[in-house]
Amino acid sequence: MTPAPLAREVASPRESRAVAFGIAGWLLPGLGHALQMMWGRALVVFLAVGLLVFAGASMKGNVFTRQGSDAFDKLGYIADLGTGSFYLFARAIETNGADVSHADGDYGTRLLATAGVLNLLAALHAYEAARGHKS
Amino acid sequence: MNGVPRLDLTHFQAFLLFAVVISVAFGFLGRRRPKDRVKYILWSLFLFLLVGIGVGWAMFPFSR
Repeated sequence: MTPAPLAREVASPRESRAVAFGIAGWLLPGLGHALQMMWGRALVVFLAVGLLVFAGASMKGNVFTRQGSDAFDKLGYIADLGTGSFYLFARAIETNGADVSHADGDYGTRLLATAGVLNLLAALHAYEAARGHKS
Repeated sequence: MNGVPRLDLTHFQAFLLFAVVISVAFGFLGRRRPKDRVKYILWSLFLFLLVGIGVGWAMFPFSR
């Protein structure tokens, strides 16, 4: 009698697919869900992250770079990177640089960080859904 | 690409934008059935507004 395959061997391709969906969702907001035919979630994640990035950059929020001078700048950079390819979009539309001398510039910085964290959460959701742990 | 015109929002408008977008995203990610999503979105939006305005009021005496 052939021994039953180990659970790890069976789960491996599914796990790899889940990781790929998670990374896809991070790179392009909503793509991780779109690849699993979750169209509503994909559209909402894409629009929510896009709107927050656009509003944050339009309000002259700080789009952090890796040349951060302190820990907060570095944390901000990690949060901004969470938007995946939209980070480049934010850099592209904020050609005149940030202006946080006004309150709305500061709010813009927060909206950009929120967009990044929201996209990381959505990518994690796509990963978990692909593993069958979320519906 | 040229820089986009500056978007000037009041404190409340920025807060409302944040609350609406996050509530909708959470509703879609956290719930599956449309009815559950609507309930979740409205409830989380209400809580965002309640807590935000509540904290604003609580900080008001120290703002001047």
